[in-house]
Amino acid sequence: MLDTAFLVRRQAPGPWLSSLCYAGGLTFGLAVSAALLVQAGVPAGALADEFLIATFLTSDGLAQTVTAALPLVLVGLASAVAMRVRFWNIGVEGQLWLGAVASTWIGIGGTGPDVLRLPAMLLLAAAVGAAWIAIPLVLKLRFGVSEVISTLLLGSVAFLLVQHLLFGAWRDPATGFPVTAAFGEAARFGSLGWGQLHGGLFVVLIVAALIWFVLEQTRIGFYADAVGLNPKAARAAGLPVSATVVGLVLLSGALSGLAGMTIVAGTEHRLNQSVGSGYLFSAIVIAYLARARPFWVVVVALALGAVFTAGSVLKVFYGISEGMIVLVQGTVLISILMSQFFSTYSLSRPG
Amino acid sequence: MTIAARAAGSPEGTPSGVPPALELRGVGKSFDGRPALVDAGFSLAWGEVHAIVGENGAGKSTLMNVAAGVYAADQGEQAIDGVAASPRSPMEATAAGLGMVHQHFRLVESFTVAENVLLSLGRRGAVRSVAQASAAVAAKAAEIGLPVDPARIVSDLSTAERQRAEIVRVLLLGARILVLDEPTAVLTEEEAKALLSFVRRLAGQGHAVVLITHKYREVAGFCDRITIMRHGRTVLAGAAVSGLDEAEVARLMVGETLATGGRPASIAGAVSLAVSDLTLAAGPHGQGLSSIGLELRAGEVLGMAGVGGNGQEELVSCLIGLTRPQSGTILLAGRDVTEASPRERRRAGLRVIPSDRFDSGLIRDFAIADNLALSRVSEGAFGGPLFLRRARMRQAAAEAIDAFDIRGATPARQTGLLSGGNAQKVLLARELDATMKVLVAHSPSRGLDMKATQFVRTAIRRAVEAGAACLLISEDLQEVLSLSHRVAVMNRGAVAGCREIGEVSPEWIGALLAGHA
Repeated sequence: MLDTAFLVRRQAPGPWLSSLCYAGGLTFGLAVSAALLVQAGVPAGALADEFLIATFLTSDGLAQTVTAALPLVLVGLASAVAMRVRFWNIGVEGQLWLGAVASTWIGIGGTGPDVLRLPAMLLLAAAVGAAWIAIPLVLKLRFGVSEVISTLLLGSVAFLLVQHLLFGAWRDPATGFPVTAAFGEAARFGSLGWGQLHGGLFVVLIVAALIWFVLEQTRIGFYADAVGLNPKAARAAGLPVSATVVGLVLLSGALSGLAGMTIVAGTEHRLNQSVGSGYLFSAIVIAYLARARPFWVVVVALALGAVFTAGSVLKVFYGISEGMIVLVQGTVLISILMSQFFSTYSLSRPG
Repeated sequence: MTIAARAAGSPEGTPSGVPPALELRGVGKSFDGRPALVDAGFSLAWGEVHAIVGENGAGKSTLMNVAAGVYAADQGEQAIDGVAASPRSPMEATAAGLGMVHQHFRLVESFTVAENVLLSLGRRGAVRSVAQASAAVAAKAAEIGLPVDPARIVSDLSTAERQRAEIVRVLLLGARILVLDEPTAVLTEEEAKALLSFVRRLAGQGHAVVLITHKYREVAGFCDRITIMRHGRTVLAGAAVSGLDEAEVARLMVGETLATGGRPASIAGAVSLAVSDLTLAAGPHGQGLSSIGLELRAGEVLGMAGVGGNGQEELVSCLIGLTRPQSGTILLAGRDVTEASPRERRRAGLRVIPSDRFDSGLIRDFAIADNLALSRVSEGAFGGPLFLRRARMRQAAAEAIDAFDIRGATPARQTGLLSGGNAQKVLLARELDATMKVLVAHSPSRGLDMKATQFVRTAIRRAVEAGAACLLISEDLQEVLSLSHRVAVMNRGAVAGCREIGEVSPEWIGALLAGHA
């Protein structure tokens, strides 16, 4: 009987128990996904091919996986940085859209010398992303407005702004489609000659390394954890609570803005209506699975990039529907999240 | 209420043949290897109001929590109405007829009273809709003469109204034995009187009532028999109240006086902390402060006695700088810090031991090393702005763990896993540093065992002898009297009086505590 059992919080789950739980969750999720895919018509023998070989073990697949992971690393970091101070940034997509819009403005306008084009796009995208999250931040700090609602709604506002631009001033004059004209060469990240992979890789690596350094090696990470876990004790102990919250939340917005920039300047080379979709949920999932640790954000983002790649392969070669792909991704993720629960709690019967 | 009125109960226990309402024998219970109850027991008769008294941490609440199924006893026998019963949950206990009203009410704030009752009744009984629950609440309230409006939302109710709702809920669940855990601590004088009169009426109707309290006036005025607890034992079980006087009860409660080593042997120096005219408006759930003034000198302990909830939390919060008072000034070592942030006050030498160490003192989920370093990281004690030297933090923590004899601690261990006394030592190790000028200690030994209590008091004494000033805010009168050079009493957000320790008499304190002066 379920109502005669208690959930007991494990005091300090060891690394072995945790790894075992995660491995179990992953295995369970993959098994259920395999069953779903076989039922949908993918030959059982081809599954391993598509999931492992096509995503990590072929050159093209790996390039595709890494390319897909670049913006995921940035949005994952954005979510993680805010999560550390218990600020729920549900507006990652909004800040990403704004960053994309800002870089597009420079990209299609061709303002400034060519050499400074990309740096200008990077800076402006980060600044605009930070400005977009500053609104809910001020609302929260001054008036106690829940950031969960305000960031989420501002995400929709940002998307409407994008639509307004794409169906209006920025509509592609050549085709009349609601996309912008393509960027000039100076506004694109150069190809690295390996699949679709582009120079944004270096930006993402540098940014990820910086965030890792700030959160894990300097006192800022220490402040962030203290503020996130017990703001009252942190304030009483003389920590700069407000400065920590403001700084990290703005950083979160800036990172989302950068993600928008790397997408338009790296792979799309123009602004369209789909560059930002889906990143919100990915960001939250990545940050949550990585427990807001920058190093693990990169690892999880790569894994999720692989899942996306596998998804598109399945779509193209086996005619698996988009809905099925999302279902498979969801199955894997929820299994891992459940395993996290079991590594923290044990079931016990009263006795 | 007079002695004659009390005699209407059954002061000498239940007549033979009728089983007692509740019988506890040889009950033992340990938490983390520390005994909270040792061979405790008493017998409760139908139709009586039975007081359980004792100091903070004597085991009163623990014993009744065992009876009410909140804790499972390690040893001992329990019987409700003559039937052996060791309830494994509060639900089982109420089903057997025993219901407890805790200090923190178990009500869903966003529900109405009727909805709360419906929620607790669950699938049992004939009440299955909010309308039926409302009717049941109204009927019960009328029957026992306690005004409760079933349609009101709990979050809109005052503390007294919530308490009444909780009592009606517990009785509707079928309790005929009602356990009230320090019910008057949160009430005004008038409300307390009304509640206690109600309790007598309830006993008159044949219920049995256990009243956990530490106020002698309530025992003498409203109870038939008394059980006194000390250090987890029932040192007197079920004696008639009429045969005891206040001095005897106090002696049994406190036992041998704790050897504290006396107050700090230091002479008061210059003024370290001067508070004047500190005024704070009362919040929806908080006491306000009215024009608090006090002066504290180096090498001196100023004890602030008072019943909890009379503004102590608010005063500490204003001193730390977490709450902004409406008016008043705070001078710390001659410097005006009224507008200063908690950080600046700390730099000026203010250190705090808050009453709830995991609320504004320590971070439960932090490693012990991190908590020890919490206030020093921003001063650059563990590396400059670029690198945080975690190895140095761990080493400093290892030294502090040794110096303060923090048992069960390693630098990397989570602080929340420590026992209360050892967590308190972590806080002391951080706060009692060389640059401390003023220590605000709020109930520093609450919930600690004797050894830890000794440790805390010795640490405070040494700090004061080394030149610090200490504001000791405590509900434990003995603690205040044994450590302080001067004693002030706080009542309803104001300092009701202040005297040198030599001029303090029990009558003076008693009158001020009760708000008579």
